[in-house]
Amino acid sequence: MPALLDVIGLTKHFPSPSGAVRAVDGVDLQIHRAHTYGLVGESGCGKSTLIRTIQRLLEPTSGQIIYKGQDIAAYKRAQLRTLRKEMAMVFQDPHMSLNPRMTVFDILARPLQIHGIARGKDALTLRIVHLLQKLGMQSEHLVRFPHELSGGQKQRIGVARALAVEPDIIFLDEPTSALDVSVQTKILKLLENIRKEWELTYFYISHDINLVRVVAEHMGVMYLGKIVEVGRTEDILRDPHHPYTVGLLQAVPEPDPDKPLGELQLGGEVPSPVNPPPGCNFHPRCPHAWDVCSQMEPELRMLSAEWSVACHRYGDDARAAPSR
Amino acid sequence: MGVTDELLKVDGLVVSFATEEGEVEALDGVDLAIREGSFHGLIGETGCGKSVTGRSIIRLLDNNAMIKAGKILYKGEDLLKLSERQMERRIRGNEIAMIFQDPSSSLDPVFNIRSQMAEVVRMYHNARRESYDAIIAEALRSVRLPDVESLMHKYPHQLSGGMKQRVMIAMMLACNPHLLIADEPTTALDVSIQAQFIKVLRELKEELQMTVVYITHDLAVISELCDHVSVMYAGRIVETSAMRELFKNPVHPYAHKLLNSVLGVQTNLDDLAEIPGTVPRLINPPKGCRFHPRCDQATEICGRERPPFVALDDDHHVACHTR
Repeated sequence: MPALLDVIGLTKHFPSPSGAVRAVDGVDLQIHRAHTYGLVGESGCGKSTLIRTIQRLLEPTSGQIIYKGQDIAAYKRAQLRTLRKEMAMVFQDPHMSLNPRMTVFDILARPLQIHGIARGKDALTLRIVHLLQKLGMQSEHLVRFPHELSGGQKQRIGVARALAVEPDIIFLDEPTSALDVSVQTKILKLLENIRKEWELTYFYISHDINLVRVVAEHMGVMYLGKIVEVGRTEDILRDPHHPYTVGLLQAVPEPDPDKPLGELQLGGEVPSPVNPPPGCNFHPRCPHAWDVCSQMEPELRMLSAEWSVACHRYGDDARAAPSR
Repeated sequence: MGVTDELLKVDGLVVSFATEEGEVEALDGVDLAIREGSFHGLIGETGCGKSVTGRSIIRLLDNNAMIKAGKILYKGEDLLKLSERQMERRIRGNEIAMIFQDPSSSLDPVFNIRSQMAEVVRMYHNARRESYDAIIAEALRSVRLPDVESLMHKYPHQLSGGMKQRVMIAMMLACNPHLLIADEPTTALDVSIQAQFIKVLRELKEELQMTVVYITHDLAVISELCDHVSVMYAGRIVETSAMRELFKNPVHPYAHKLLNSVLGVQTNLDDLAEIPGTVPRLINPPKGCRFHPRCDQATEICGRERPPFVALDDDHHVACHTR
């Protein structure tokens, strides 16, 4: 079965006085229908830019975005409107992503009206109340303004707005990072139930590996504009291969006093995407780097059917290099 | 808990804020005892009052805050009885220092690191001007910052978030306080930088025997650093115990739920605990135990009477009627 979304060599560069900011720098990824994909990376790695570019909220610099067999990277402006109905997004901070001057009814009516899904107050109300109930809220919330809602309730409205257009795929940009843990669990469970019921496809981005662990079947790890490892979440977390993935996993503290953080592999800081290091982006911080790493960029190579890593240690040239 | 080794004791602290909607009681009788040399975690969700507690100790509350009752005994002296001038001269910096969540807004963008730190050194060290650089370099090195000579001449915008937070710690160390209040110091940082920061703090803890009140919403960070923990909910402390004891045997239903709602290496979403309802708004808090509307073990008394903060043993206190 072809992937719902097949991104090929996608790049997004931003001009800056000191040279192009290579925010997304040649990303390949596939997402299958009714699956959940989680993309992990630290701040500035380009994950937010990536999902905005995939949705054509930002203009790609180059590359293809094959969605349902069509390259949407080549879509003209007029064609984008159909895309807006198929792809929806839930934003990180519900306090900032809801218009403070609109009631819950107005916020949710907007997408329905724009896409002609429902017309007239009665039809809109019916649909919106149904949506609210789906998210564990009541019709009394219709007349509320965002400031009258708690953080968790606001994020439910954010989710309801994404669901309103009945999309095929929802992009979730750290949907729970602004929420307290007790609220986070509920939102995650709600999202999962809705996904199963509506057979939706989710694309999460997060800096929190433990979040991706519980929600996503497949995951990718992004570093400085590139995907360095991709595969089944279970496999990667059990046996990470890319040195960056290894370092990232080691840096996550466990909420267990008997499991303190061990020796850290990940020293230093993420370099600037304006002038990324030559060869493998990660080589200046990599404990295993050898000569080839600073000269040649590693390609994303398949370890198995569902597992790929961009690291010279797992490439053909590994034989010629010193043992690890 | 022996009285002698207590560096700080907060006793029945009540703090309220004047807001447009009326008076909000942010802290409703907070009791805390911080031992000399310990890392004491203060954990809770947004709006539980953990930052207000921290800011009350160093008396840096906003103008609309009123301290209505209670004592803050530091080395036996009630800080609430001191004048602002005495706080400034004797306590802040010399005795108690605080670092905040966002290092970018804590550093002055128009001065380089050296001149910002020199100000601290001038105020808190009896040293000659020529020796300032040596003291500053020493402080920066102690938080494992590389290349301190060139770093001193940089401006905040030239540093990353993790480096800025380490500069804040270095600045605080340069004052040489007895007690550090750290308010979510790693929340704005990435995990790899947070991990480096945790390591630095752990080493400092051993080297300097510092006493730290560590405010966070992150239980994983607590488990890395703290010896003792107090769990706050809606302006009250609901449970205080040794850190390991809390993770092993949380007694208060809220503490129990909180521990089970944290994402760890559990792979299953269904295993995560949910807490029904939302954190109450403090403008009109629930009567009795403030957690009772969300508690699955609540009985009739919970909605009526405030549960006393009772000792289960010397080291473990809890405020719950069901115990």
